[in-house]
Amino acid sequence: MIVTKRRDFNKLKENINRHKTVFLLGCSECAALCGTGGEPELKEMKGLLEAEGKEVTGLIAVKSGCQVLGTKLELKPFKEAINKADCIIVMSCGAGTQTAAELFEDKPVYPANNTMYLGNMTRFQVFDERCSLCGECILDMTGGICPITRCAKGLLNGPCGGSQAGKCEISPDMTCAWQLIIERLSKTGAFKRLEEIIPPKNWNQIPTRKPDKRGK
Amino acid sequence: MKSGSNLEKVLEGGYFAVTAEVGPPKGALSTVIKRKGELLKFHCDAMNVTDNQTAIVRMSSWSGCILLKEMGIDPVMQMVVRDRNRIAIQSDILGAVALGIRNILCLSGDHQKFGNHPTAKGVYDIDSIQLIQTLKTMRDDRKFMCGEDLSGELPIYIGAVENPFADPFEYRVHRLAKKVKAGADFIQTQAVFDVKKFSKWMDMVRDHGLDKQVHILAGIIPIKSVGMARYMRDNVSGISVPDEIVIRMEEAKDAKEEGVKIAIEIIEQLKEIEGIHGIHIMAVAWEDIVPLIVERAGLLPRPIL
Repeated sequence: MIVTKRRDFNKLKENINRHKTVFLLGCSECAALCGTGGEPELKEMKGLLEAEGKEVTGLIAVKSGCQVLGTKLELKPFKEAINKADCIIVMSCGAGTQTAAELFEDKPVYPANNTMYLGNMTRFQVFDERCSLCGECILDMTGGICPITRCAKGLLNGPCGGSQAGKCEISPDMTCAWQLIIERLSKTGAFKRLEEIIPPKNWNQIPTRKPDKRGK
Repeated sequence: MKSGSNLEKVLEGGYFAVTAEVGPPKGALSTVIKRKGELLKFHCDAMNVTDNQTAIVRMSSWSGCILLKEMGIDPVMQMVVRDRNRIAIQSDILGAVALGIRNILCLSGDHQKFGNHPTAKGVYDIDSIQLIQTLKTMRDDRKFMCGEDLSGELPIYIGAVENPFADPFEYRVHRLAKKVKAGADFIQTQAVFDVKKFSKWMDMVRDHGLDKQVHILAGIIPIKSVGMARYMRDNVSGISVPDEIVIRMEEAKDAKEEGVKIAIEIIEQLKEIEGIHGIHIMAVAWEDIVPLIVERAGLLPRPIL
């Protein structure tokens, strides 16, 4: 899922300084799981904003904020509430915020969250980064563990000289991804793969860097 | 000859090499480099200039190398992949060679988090092994990474580093093999304090036949004080300082003299290990001691060629 964290509320307050009325848009997918954009968080935000003297004209956690057309349909019944609002605060990931910007051309939109990474929930609301969305998967060569994401230097031919007792040099809390890769490839009888040099990557596979698919 | 550098002549000639490290200043004073150059000129065969070591901004490695070159010293340009993408790397290599630099040492680089700009974006477009491969392709096939031809020759002697004290220990030799396969001509290792562990690693290096394919220079860091010994033991990732060395430093009446003695003893032991073709002295903030160590270790005259 796309992992999000709440932005500093004071920054958000600064963002909406000139606005009196606000519509809150959340998302029932990743943001809800992260506790940053589901129904309870929308209500909590409503309370915070009201305490600051703002009027919340309406709120909804849409099914998935990254679905532009679906979100458009879901928001139809909220037309009046949205019209009444000076701005929209979006409690989802960066994609959801941009859905709102796309659907409401003349309405300011503000993100309530910082979008962190694509990760796994390993325990309840504990997340670990797993994928960098690079567009050219190398997990076939690295035992299903991504060094681009999980090695601090993103080394394709690690580990570097800073790997110590299975930990990364940058923090004792961080596992060395290459230690994991070596252990896994050894266990699965694929140690030979570690003797091959993985070639430089094409970093420009990333689809978002390509032209808008709708050719607007 | 691949590059004609002094270091290449020394190593390919079968001599025991001595290289020393020079840290550039946090400023533009060329006198800092020149002073270190004068100090070490007749105590080594080539001098490494570090590339923003520990991710702290300093004078660039290539400019330090040029200042040394002008003094008749054979420089080793260190290049990390942390700060440049493949376009900048290849361009800087061409420039360095044009200015007379012949030895290039390829490293990943300390993570930017450790330095004085911890919010910087780490580049790591390619890794250190891919950098070695890039240099070899540029030199031997005269091609850029993209496959296009480069004009003229690119005489370089390609260096790489290895840390036998990093984990997993059993894999380190395989990673060295990858560096050799990628095209490394010489290797400078992390500082050796634990000679026993280093010997074990060298056994594996010889078992893989790597000592016949690459020249290995073992790293030496002279210890200046008890505090430094403890700090390296406890805080520097990738360096392994056995307790007995810390105890020796603690018990010594003259810590500096003890540090020199330890360095010399380690050099003596390393010289006996089959496959070690030289030493690389990294006297971090204690360059002044290098001449004495080289002299007392019986490694003069230098440069040997």
